[in-house]
Amino acid sequence: MSFRWSRAAAIAQKEMYHVLRDRFTLTLALGLPVFMVFTFGFAIEFNVKNVPLAVHDADKTQTSRRVIDTFGSSGYFLVDPVVSPAAAQQAIDGDRSRAALVIPGGFQKDLLSGGVAKAQLLLDGSDNSTVGPILGYVASIEAIASRRIADFDPPKPIEIHTRFLFNPELNSRWFVIPGLAVAVLAILAVLLTALTVAREWENGSMELLLSTPAEPLEIIVGKLAPYAVLGLVGLAFVYVISRTVFALPFRGSHVLFVLGGILFLATYLALGLLISVLTRRQQIAMQLAMMAGMIPAFLLSGFIFPIASMPAFFRYLTMVLPARWFMTIARDSYLKGSTLVEMGTAFLALGVLCVIIIAIAARKFKKDLEP
Amino acid sequence: MATSIAIRVHEVHKKLGTTQALAGVSLQFERGRMHGVIGPEGAGKTTLMRTVLGLLTPDAGSVGFYRDGVPLRFEEIRASVAYMPQTQSLYADLSIDEHLEFFRKLYGIDAAEYRARRKELLEITQLGPFVERAAGKLSGGMYKKLGLMCALLRSPEVMLLDEPTNGVDPISRREFWDLLYRLADRGILIIITTAYMDEAERCSVVHLIARGKTVAEGEPRELLARAHVSSFDQLFLRQDEVAS
Repeated sequence: MSFRWSRAAAIAQKEMYHVLRDRFTLTLALGLPVFMVFTFGFAIEFNVKNVPLAVHDADKTQTSRRVIDTFGSSGYFLVDPVVSPAAAQQAIDGDRSRAALVIPGGFQKDLLSGGVAKAQLLLDGSDNSTVGPILGYVASIEAIASRRIADFDPPKPIEIHTRFLFNPELNSRWFVIPGLAVAVLAILAVLLTALTVAREWENGSMELLLSTPAEPLEIIVGKLAPYAVLGLVGLAFVYVISRTVFALPFRGSHVLFVLGGILFLATYLALGLLISVLTRRQQIAMQLAMMAGMIPAFLLSGFIFPIASMPAFFRYLTMVLPARWFMTIARDSYLKGSTLVEMGTAFLALGVLCVIIIAIAARKFKKDLEP
Repeated sequence: MATSIAIRVHEVHKKLGTTQALAGVSLQFERGRMHGVIGPEGAGKTTLMRTVLGLLTPDAGSVGFYRDGVPLRFEEIRASVAYMPQTQSLYADLSIDEHLEFFRKLYGIDAAEYRARRKELLEITQLGPFVERAAGKLSGGMYKKLGLMCALLRSPEVMLLDEPTNGVDPISRREFWDLLYRLADRGILIIITTAYMDEAERCSVVHLIARGKTVAEGEPRELLARAHVSSFDQLFLRQDEVAS
């Protein structure tokens, strides 16, 4: 066993020719990060705004109108008057509204006679991604409306001031786009590696390569190097677009972010290699790569669904997923400006997983054709 | 190249999945002769080649390399063993020149030697005018010649060719054989497998194998005379009759 850079470099150069001449690989590698950042940045909006609100006002008094005005002027709701409580219900059934406000007759009278004026809010529970934010808005709108109607600030025994740290406006882009760094690297690294090594097995060139003096480690390093570069370019794309187009803050250390990226990339390249060594077929390798690389990166990394609210089993499962740890590093680097010590667990876990997966992949990569 | 390399395959068994690909095959290959491993499809020719190259490990039996009668470890000789697999194993999008350049680096051949070698190989294969052409766009015969060139770049002492003329037109096949003769004349130990029975007669020694076993060995004419047949087709047909 004698590792020679010249042989690894020769294989890397050959692989670079493949990449540059294969439109699919190049388009995927360079187009995907741009496409994903723009899609997630523009199209997916977790902040709910302009919620269509069906309003039935049976009271038609100054008080009821003031309540409705408060909803309308909040910017979160589009008020749509309807003729009856039944029509309000229908508006939700027919998907014309997400919520309905029903103000019964005698609303103002109840208030003036010293009682509590009661109105009803109907929410479309079939879409629970909007219910949460709407409830939040309603609570504050209710407070504002009460204040306006009563015309004074009631003394409160307790006052809690809420301040959102790191993302004061709770902008969902700030939350999602750093996570794209993870998703983009996961797709590129696993998929492209799994495909390229499986291709070499499939067309028989691995047999020729193994019969040359090239050592397994040289083959691995040479084959993976171009994809490592592509992965880092993808990461750079995500970073540049996030900072320029979407004006995301970056409060942490670039060095740590890149270091985490490289660790994650190495882990996923090894995973792709392992998949292709085990399958030796492009078709199967591709499907396995999707399963093993992309699905955990999207669903179990905390990218969209918070890990803290997962059932215990999945919460523990995410700990063995490299994507979860790089997700933490990416988000904390962008938004919190965390230090190495603060992200110590994430780095340690990612490092350990990286070593384990590389070790398994290198072990499974055999220098023979035994089935 | 004054030394003489020999390879001895002794009672090799190899099972691949549920198939007994090699069932106790014994052969002897010596320098300077053109050895033909002849057998029908599925006889175990490719498995034998891969086993000799160490790409497969025998379940039982052994493969030994000798230089002037002294045993060698495979690692000691690996650098001068060239192999041309049966499957199309070159890179369709790489040109002839890029292939040669790639293998030059893998073999660690220095620039001066490479230049001389490249010139010579392009001359004998007559591929000179096509160096810029991608392997995927070469004809079947040219593709095989490119495979041979890649294998020959490092001046091997031993060459294993697995069905190199499979699927190649008759004229290209004859050209290819002429090329092989020139190599044999230089004292390279050449082992070639083929399922074309007419090619058996082109070899100096043939090893007939069927169902993973050696059936007969010797000089082609002698073998035919001994069996009282006029061609290797007939010889194999007779083997089938004996077996069944």
